[in-house]
Amino acid sequence: MSDLTPLRDLLDHHVVGHDEVKTALLLALITREHIYVEGPPGTAKTRLAEVAAKGSELDFFFYQLHRDTRLAELVGDIVLERRKVKTDDGEPGTAGEAERIHQRIEPGGLLTAEVAVLDDISRAPGEALNVLLRILNERRFGAEPIPLMAAIATGNPMDDEYYNEPLDPANLDRFALQLRVSGLIQSGVDEAKTLIDRFASGSVVEQPDPDPVTDRATLDALNQRMYQVEVGAAVRAALLDVLRTLVLEFECNETNSLLTDRTFLVKAIKILRGAALLAGRKAVDLQDLAALSWMTTFRVPPEAHEALPRIVGRVSRQIQAV
Amino acid sequence: MTSPVPDRRTAEFAAAFVELRTALGRVLIGQDDAATGLTLALLAEQHAYLEGPPGCGKSELAAALAALAGARTHTLVFHRDIRETDLLGDVLLSRHRHRGHERLRRELIPGPLLQAEIALLEDLPRSPGEALGPLLRILAERHALGQPLPLESAVATGPLEQVEAPIDPLEPGQLDRFAVQLRLTGLLTGGLFDEAAVLLERGAARQPPRSPARSAHALPAAIPPPRSAVMSTATRKAAQRAAAALQVEPRTIDAYHRLLDRLRQRSADESASGDRLMSDRSFSSAALRLVRAHAFLRGAPAAAPRDLGAIRYMVAHRLPEEVQEDFDHILEELLGDPPNVTMAETGAQMPGAQSQGDDSDGAAAASPASDSWIDDQADLPAPPTLFGKPPPPAQVDPLLRALVGRIERGRIDPDTDPGGQPRGYRPLRDLDELIDADVIEALLFAEGRLPGAPRTFERKRRSAGGAVAVLRDISASMAGRLTVWSSQVVLGILRVAARRRMRVGYVEFHHRALPHHVGGRLLHRSYSRLAEQAGQAKAVGQTNYEAPLRTALEGLRGGSGRNRHVVLLTDGLPIIGDTTVRRERQLARRLGVALHTVFLGNGDCPPVLDDISQETGGLRFHGRPLAGGGLRLEER
Repeated sequence: MSDLTPLRDLLDHHVVGHDEVKTALLLALITREHIYVEGPPGTAKTRLAEVAAKGSELDFFFYQLHRDTRLAELVGDIVLERRKVKTDDGEPGTAGEAERIHQRIEPGGLLTAEVAVLDDISRAPGEALNVLLRILNERRFGAEPIPLMAAIATGNPMDDEYYNEPLDPANLDRFALQLRVSGLIQSGVDEAKTLIDRFASGSVVEQPDPDPVTDRATLDALNQRMYQVEVGAAVRAALLDVLRTLVLEFECNETNSLLTDRTFLVKAIKILRGAALLAGRKAVDLQDLAALSWMTTFRVPPEAHEALPRIVGRVSRQIQAV
Repeated sequence: MTSPVPDRRTAEFAAAFVELRTALGRVLIGQDDAATGLTLALLAEQHAYLEGPPGCGKSELAAALAALAGARTHTLVFHRDIRETDLLGDVLLSRHRHRGHERLRRELIPGPLLQAEIALLEDLPRSPGEALGPLLRILAERHALGQPLPLESAVATGPLEQVEAPIDPLEPGQLDRFAVQLRLTGLLTGGLFDEAAVLLERGAARQPPRSPARSAHALPAAIPPPRSAVMSTATRKAAQRAAAALQVEPRTIDAYHRLLDRLRQRSADESASGDRLMSDRSFSSAALRLVRAHAFLRGAPAAAPRDLGAIRYMVAHRLPEEVQEDFDHILEELLGDPPNVTMAETGAQMPGAQSQGDDSDGAAAASPASDSWIDDQADLPAPPTLFGKPPPPAQVDPLLRALVGRIERGRIDPDTDPGGQPRGYRPLRDLDELIDADVIEALLFAEGRLPGAPRTFERKRRSAGGAVAVLRDISASMAGRLTVWSSQVVLGILRVAARRRMRVGYVEFHHRALPHHVGGRLLHRSYSRLAEQAGQAKAVGQTNYEAPLRTALEGLRGGSGRNRHVVLLTDGLPIIGDTTVRRERQLARRLGVALHTVFLGNGDCPPVLDDISQETGGLRFHGRPLAGGGLRLEER
């Protein structure tokens, strides 16, 4: 149980299934990390992001990226400023004035939002994304810090039929949490039945606007509490063992993986703390290491990602035995 | 020489830089070389280029250098759209009444970058080369708008050169502006797990960033707390002056000449490719400044031969990789002294320093005799034989150039694309394009004083489409040298495809076709996975053209677009399957796929290969192995 239970209930109320995405979304809000959700069209990716943002009463910015996306559409208006300056041009007979012309951006959109939903991020041209993703990474634009807590990006699978250019691996690394979802109906899980029943019963209003159930202050407090969650030596040792296994056994390296120090040595600690907090614990437990698989989705080769729960299990047993 | 009093001061200056070095080492665990290299760069007033995988701490290290050195700093994040005003400053439009006319003149007000003492240039290669030209020139000349710049060091960061990188790497000439070149590795991927454990422990002890009340605009935890400077500007400048004035001992100069000889020789042996550069600019003034700085940091009165160790921080893009790795060894052998550990001394408090020292010792002890062998070789009249050594990669260049030319035919001119790079001007068509418009003209336009529309960048981009499938004969006759050679061709094609974001397919064949699917597809963009595969081919079995061609064409059939190619690498006559591959030729013509054929070997080329290429508009090549181990390539 945690302070985010109402928000979780809200997500459950609005979207059937997708348990992992919901948890990861809450995790993103607590840890102030960005999240990338990839899945086929119509799997409630955008809806989940929207409900999470509106349910926590945060300034919300939604943008549908497209092939021609330009920076100005995301960050605000482009302004030409002119200021008079004195000149001392010594030339006689030239009464003159000079203007300093400056081009800047009047912040808007992503620069003023607390939660941003960037829909179909894989549709924007790779290089155009660079600036956007750098803003996400640094949480500042120029010298100005921005209030953004978490950006939720969605994308379609990078198969050829969607005609997307794959995201630059360095760009994907900006999203600490990465998930892959599949449609409930296509994968034939039990929730598919619930989903259909719900619509069949006629009790669903299409796209109802969720009422806020939590607020910025709650999220801020949670973020502060996150840093008090203890990360013991055993958990650190286990985390390192998992990483060591990925490098040595699964041969993750700089060419086939994004096993970066920033993500797996710095951000991973935050994610683990957030996971413990979400589960109502005051210290990170070995079972919280399961959250690592939300970090490896697109960062390591598929076989290594699939093996992660097994690796975590094995390492946890070894650590417990010691 | 210097008098005793300045000597004492000099020691103080040196101590400040040693402290800087130590503090830098604490900021980033396990990156001691980079910390030393950056310290030397600042002391020698040279520019530095840091490259490494994402998230290994490049930017953090550069920012820490600026903060610790107490210098006036400006950070510029490079991106595709970087503009002249971002780089140099604002535009000044002056209007003068002159005999009833108005005169407009545009000038430039130096921006913060031109006023910085340490300039941080992040993600430098993300900018198009054309935009970088003026900036790099300014960096080199340290003069702009007729004024000398206060700039001491520019520190640029960039991603690791990778097959998959969607950006074109900087040219060696551009990189040469950065005397110090450092390559960082990640702790995890570099296998430095002890250092990784230290970093985890630090993270676990990390406190919340700021008070919750301010957190709406507070910085996130990932940004390190501000550091205080370890030296004053006066100290920094005095140290730089003192270091630059340091004597270089004659025996050091002598050793330097011998070192350069040795490096040249080794580079020539290792690689025939011309993408490495030992320029006069870097290896005369910049190198000696660094050598002096090294001696200064050591507290030495003059630069001794051991200070040539500073050169190792220059070599990342100037020497072939094999030579870089061997640099410490080459130098040590030249000096005939125990290995140079001066920098480890200053970094003794750091957890990373220990292991690094051990490494270089181990490498040095491993092969003391092998380098003298190179000297002996140099005296021999005949070229060195290439037992077990791959032939120089340059030999595949003619083939690759021809293929690239064909692949690019019809689309050498990039298409207009709003997401592309600025490659010229055109009139503004849409107010949305104002961000790309010339500022002055945009202003006059807004005032209604411009007769036409303002100029705006015309953005263009090379079409990223297309696909190329490589069919590689791995039948028994392809053993040995031909395997190595065809691996190089495959790798070369992969590189070309990666740069253009073309999808690639790879089919090895003998009597059967062995396609390498990724994610169930023949064509994909997992370039590095294929590159790995191409290095592992083993030669077995007999030759069949039909199966691989069929496989490749089936794979290409689903796609669209004109730019589709198949490259067939073989050394033998087809024995199995339809040896005339009539149906495949027809299919290729129908699909508009160009089939290029490359025949390897001294025998006659099977006529069917000529037919395949001619009918589909493909290129035809014949590579003949030479007695010396090379291969002569000609168009059939």
